[in-house]
Amino acid sequence: MRAGFPLPDVNWEPTRGFWQAAQRRELQMPRCERCGLINWYPPPRCRACECESLGWSSLSGRATLFSWSHVSRALFDGYASKAPYITGLVALEEDPRVRLVTLLVDCLPEDLTIDMPVEVVFRVLEFPDVEGSVIAPMFRPHS
Amino acid sequence: MGRPAAASWGFASDLDDIAGEVAIVGVGEAEHSKASGRGSHEIAVEAIEAALADAGMEIADIDGIMFSPAMGDQLDEQAFRERFGVQHELWTSHQGGGMVWAGTAPHAAARAIRSGAASTILNVFSVAWATQRSSMTGGPGQFHADEQFKANLEIPFGWFPQPVYFSTIARRHMAEYGTRPEQLGSVAISARRHANGHPGAVMRDKALSLEDYLSRPMLADPLRVEDCCLISDGGAAYIMTSTERARDLAKTPVVVSGVGEGHSGSGAYWSQQGDFTATPQVFSAPRAFAMAGIAPSDVDLLTLYDPFTIVTLMQIEDMGFCDKGEGGAFVQGGRLDFDAGGLPTNTHGGMLSHAYVLGISHVVEVVRQLRGEAANQVADAEIGVYGGYTGHMASTLVLTTES
Repeated sequence: MRAGFPLPDVNWEPTRGFWQAAQRRELQMPRCERCGLINWYPPPRCRACECESLGWSSLSGRATLFSWSHVSRALFDGYASKAPYITGLVALEEDPRVRLVTLLVDCLPEDLTIDMPVEVVFRVLEFPDVEGSVIAPMFRPHS
Repeated sequence: MGRPAAASWGFASDLDDIAGEVAIVGVGEAEHSKASGRGSHEIAVEAIEAALADAGMEIADIDGIMFSPAMGDQLDEQAFRERFGVQHELWTSHQGGGMVWAGTAPHAAARAIRSGAASTILNVFSVAWATQRSSMTGGPGQFHADEQFKANLEIPFGWFPQPVYFSTIARRHMAEYGTRPEQLGSVAISARRHANGHPGAVMRDKALSLEDYLSRPMLADPLRVEDCCLISDGGAAYIMTSTERARDLAKTPVVVSGVGEGHSGSGAYWSQQGDFTATPQVFSAPRAFAMAGIAPSDVDLLTLYDPFTIVTLMQIEDMGFCDKGEGGAFVQGGRLDFDAGGLPTNTHGGMLSHAYVLGISHVVEVVRQLRGEAANQVADAEIGVYGGYTGHMASTLVLTTES
């Protein structure tokens, strides 16, 4: 396993734009400059029109809660310090077929319902025995 | 928001018709156990020896071997030669082993036998994951942790390992279709009841009632430990030859009547799968049933790759045994039990309660059922189906007695 796990490798090329934007507290994904499709996870070519003109495009950060899991005891060592936690998928306002894996914050499990509106917040993600930290997009119920 | 059209999120492989060409003529299992301290090669050898004995064959009869190098530390051609002292020419294929390939290996074998490349082909799969997990050197989680998109877009957010993925899928299924915890529980309880009646099952001595199930803590809400498969050491093997030759062998031939293979267009990334609460059985099963000339209602028993209860339930829907979303009602109240008059499913206990050998024992179980040799025998079983799954792929294998 890579050093730094479970932090992301912010320099890994295919997801570098996503993590660089997050450090500026922006949510960005690759969007096709020709047909407009948001391509997630980042592919080398647009999944719709197959062109190579994919640029990192800013998103509103509004989404709906597609599904989630409440994990009371971490199921892998690197995440022990975070439990209990709520991880899940949010469907983006710009294209609900695109789902972002994220952490749900500022809420309790009983506050959550499927398809409820949520919004992005940027928080520091760090782990006790791992060097470094990143700013990561997380989501909370939209007030 | 409507459901995505099936064609929009995946596809089926075009497999040529091999119906009736080959039969499974020998099956064998290694001992299934918690951490045994054994290696996967040693386990594979035990399974192969059992399959040869079952078929009434010698090692010299085997001229083809199938395994799955992607799954790590499998008994490959070189190890097979060394362990058994085999020097003769061997046809080899990497399209074997467990998971979906436990279901599609008979298709590749049929083509090889048709072409004359081999006459008698062994498919083998084994794992020592219980032993490896106790020493933290491997297992199913490791396989995913090494994948870069998962490492950079999923694991940092705690969406890992597999029980977390499938609890997310189960919650969405519950929201879309009203599936209830006791319906998932019924899948686990039927599997356990079958394991309790199977002398080779890891959980043969541990009973599970609905009250037990509902009182257990959540592992990854809404999934409990009992919704998740075992981690165990074990393995199995099966031997295939032409149906014509099979008629002269020791056991009643079990004929390969249909094979299907389906794919998700989003690959191994569950989070992006177009229909999040379905499996590629949507694409695979209709092809296999068409090749075999059967309808779902003709099937006498089913074994399904069951890493989680929700995967059993979704495959039952996706293979057409009930309408999409009706899986909960279909499985509840023990309707998957071998003797309940419903659809007998995972009659050996499945990966939930028999052993986590990734589906190859599921094929062994169908063969034993169709021969009338099963521990939990389904009366008059003539058509049995294995549903394989790896998340981004599914396979369907229709096996029948000779009519």
